[in-house]
Amino acid sequence: MTRFRRYARDHAVPLALLSPAVLVILLVVLLPLLFSFYTSFSNYRLIRPDSLWDWVGFRNYARVLGDGDFWSAFGRTVLFLTVALNLEMLLGLGLALMVNRITWGQRTMRTIMMFPMMFSPILVGFQFKYLFNDTIGLVNNALQSLGLASEPIPFLVDRWLAFAAISFAEIWMSTSIFAILILAGLFAMPKDPIEAARVDGCSNWQVFRHITLPFLMPFIYIAMTIRSLDVARAYDIVDVMTGGGPAGRTELLWTLIARTAYDDARMGRANAMAYFSILLSIFFTWFFFRKLMAARRHLGAF
Amino acid sequence: MSRAMKDRLIWAVTFLVMLIICLPGLWVVLSAFRTNGEILTKPAVWIPQNLTLDNFRAIFGLGENVLAIPVGSYFLNSLVISVTSTVLAVVIGMSGGYAFARHRFPGKSGAFLWLMLSRTVPGIALSLPLFILWSWIGLIDTKLGVIVVYTAINVPFTVWLTEGFFRQVPRDLSEAAQIDGCTPWQAFWKVEFPLARSGIASAGIFAFLTSWNEYALASQLTRSTDSKTLPVGLMDFTAQFTIDWAGMCAMAVIIIIPALILTFLVQKHLIAGLTFGGVKG
Amino acid sequence: MAEVTLRKIVKSYGALEVVHGIDLDIAHNEFVVLVGPSGCGKSTTLRMIAGLEEVSGGEIAIGGRVVNTLPPRARNISMVFQNYALYPHMTVRENLGFSLKIAGRPPAEIDKATDEAAAILGLADYMDRTPGELSGGQRQRVAMGRAIVRHPDVFLFDEPLSNLDAKLRTQMRVEIKKLHQKVKTTIVYVTHDQVEAMTLADRIVIMKDGHIVQTGTPLEVFERPANTFVATFIGSPPMNLVDGVVAGGAVRFAGDVSLPVPPAFRGRVQEGQRVTYGFRADNLMPAGHAMTGIGETAEIDLTIALAEPLGAETILLSELAGVEIQGKMYNPRPVAAGERLSCLLALDHAHLFDAETGASLRT
Repeated sequence: MTRFRRYARDHAVPLALLSPAVLVILLVVLLPLLFSFYTSFSNYRLIRPDSLWDWVGFRNYARVLGDGDFWSAFGRTVLFLTVALNLEMLLGLGLALMVNRITWGQRTMRTIMMFPMMFSPILVGFQFKYLFNDTIGLVNNALQSLGLASEPIPFLVDRWLAFAAISFAEIWMSTSIFAILILAGLFAMPKDPIEAARVDGCSNWQVFRHITLPFLMPFIYIAMTIRSLDVARAYDIVDVMTGGGPAGRTELLWTLIARTAYDDARMGRANAMAYFSILLSIFFTWFFFRKLMAARRHLGAF
Repeated sequence: MSRAMKDRLIWAVTFLVMLIICLPGLWVVLSAFRTNGEILTKPAVWIPQNLTLDNFRAIFGLGENVLAIPVGSYFLNSLVISVTSTVLAVVIGMSGGYAFARHRFPGKSGAFLWLMLSRTVPGIALSLPLFILWSWIGLIDTKLGVIVVYTAINVPFTVWLTEGFFRQVPRDLSEAAQIDGCTPWQAFWKVEFPLARSGIASAGIFAFLTSWNEYALASQLTRSTDSKTLPVGLMDFTAQFTIDWAGMCAMAVIIIIPALILTFLVQKHLIAGLTFGGVKG
Repeated sequence: MAEVTLRKIVKSYGALEVVHGIDLDIAHNEFVVLVGPSGCGKSTTLRMIAGLEEVSGGEIAIGGRVVNTLPPRARNISMVFQNYALYPHMTVRENLGFSLKIAGRPPAEIDKATDEAAAILGLADYMDRTPGELSGGQRQRVAMGRAIVRHPDVFLFDEPLSNLDAKLRTQMRVEIKKLHQKVKTTIVYVTHDQVEAMTLADRIVIMKDGHIVQTGTPLEVFERPANTFVATFIGSPPMNLVDGVVAGGAVRFAGDVSLPVPPAFRGRVQEGQRVTYGFRADNLMPAGHAMTGIGETAEIDLTIALAEPLGAETILLSELAGVEIQGKMYNPRPVAAGERLSCLLALDHAHLFDAETGASLRT
């Protein structure tokens, strides 16, 4: 206690400055999470308030772990994130490198690149729901008008096509974050090491592999970290595009949680699932944050 | 392949990518000015025959066909919630960001990491306990309830961004000001704040966009026209038996316009903030 | 009257003590330079006087008033920072007038004071520019102008010239000295550059590892260094130091060479005592190329390893008892490497230090 007092006295100013931030997060994030942690051990259902005190131990977790629907949603989510993050990174890198080489109209291109960033995920979802619609969607209309397809393609109904459509929307929305941050890295890059490497006889590919890419890595990881802070916003896209359906074919972890909690009113079990989703998000963030720190140390020389 | 050819090829590919980025949005905007009849026609009508403002009139209840969805209220709710939570998040973030940028205290990097991790909690996961707690204390379906939540989810980001910008302001400027007769408080407002102002503004706009665009939490914490925001309101359209595509497109345009303007205003600062926040530790 | 008094000043960060109980009295209108290698605690001491660092122990008084707990604004001091710390969002005029504006002075008075300072420092033509539009030297001048505008009791300078190139540094050194003559004020000036310290100071305070090693006028510390650290830190090139043993009125070095005990140290050393013999390059001169009137001398034959002609004189590198030493040839002639020269050492300017502690044996 005295140690805490002394700490508080010695650092009164920063503690006072930080306290509003800490307070609001305690109130809105930590406290609710503790509560939901408790309910994940209860049989809480929204329609029966007294069930909050119905302690069931690890039953919710056991049920969740034994639930095939949960595992397929979980697996689909991990697959979805892996595909989306990797493609976003590669496409973003490619786009940044191209825009970096362009001289004519570069500013306009850069501005257009920021376009998807300002879209609400719900809008992105709606936009592609509209585009991929099987009767009136732009894509189907175009394919039919060009004679490439005779029948409407059920983009949002077929299991894999729907997964692809959702991934497309996600990638459309988030590639620009990568492209923009990597482009910022390219602009900040010192020219000397590149010139030195060319003098040392490196080919274009070698220069990229050994000079440009290591320099860009921290920027890529910043983008990854920012991105992984918010992986769950894919929920919005899926919710509006398919709602997890049809028949759970596009169910991601997050839509499953929402359905369990609000449609089935099984709060306890939904909270147990929610903890898996929180751990997943923390894992992604922590993973890229560590990489970012390592890349930064590695780059100390620049 | 000659260098000029290669350059031209790269330009063409980039242009194609830009087109893919722009096309969906443009198509939505175009549809907002078409009639549902034209949108639903088979085979597709490519060249719009008559452009109309009816969809917007309907949304704001000005035309003959009045929409059942009170977009005007939603717009107002969104505005009040986003602006208030942004102001709060910026003030709180500035205070915290300054502490991180200027003060040394044990446990600093740990505190920073925890702050960031609090942002990773998926909105839908957070909405479950908040839904229950907010109904108990009467914050459910109120603007205040959403404002408090949005403030909290924006604080980690505003702390991060302002911290980066305050660190760019040399420490000795504040010291010089204090020697020139300022109190630490005056030194902050007269010297450090003006120099970090553009960064703080972009943190604010970032927070505004997050609030303006948020859906997962709002969809559970709001129920009626008292508090529903635009993104939640957009889903009202799908709840109807037949989807009013043109109406939805018009509403999408309404949601995107403020975001569009604000993003263009700060694009430069935004990138700078995100980048040196991360690269220079 | 603004004398500055430091009594047993201690600064520690947690368990780490960086300034160990410094005592210093600075007189009214005195120009005192704190000099020492980086990490010696000189900047920390200055910042404690400014009120930018908390004092961990002891007492600081300005003009007889203890200021330990006063914030910087209440101490009536001004400070020129290493990086100038000009407010980038204000014009030169606003920078100069900022302190007066904060103090709530009427605009007319602020204008008068800023114009005055601008005239003293030749800034009149740049008043409406921002710091970003100024050269390094001009920024330096604005920083000084900002300091003089409010007529403080004490001026503090924290390595103000270290960001300037060599030529500008010399020029600004002169201006700072002139400034002190124009606006009589107590000045505490921190630098790691001994040339700056020598040229500017009324009194030099040499610091090392959080202690004051020696205090004195520039000539005192040059001619009577308190220990080998001061001897090598002040003066360029650094003093030659050779270890030896006292034997029969002389100091015997390795390789059977010996030099007489300098007159000032006779009777202060004992037979068999281990000492360090010190002399400056300026006082070791080839016969026929020495200065006149140098008093008692000793003669040594040296093989020249390298000669560095500087024009008016030539620096000669040689070796004594296995230690590299430097001498100076006045009215030089060309010298070839390997040439053997008979040299004179001016004994009045030679020193003896304790071989163990490095302390001067003068007292």
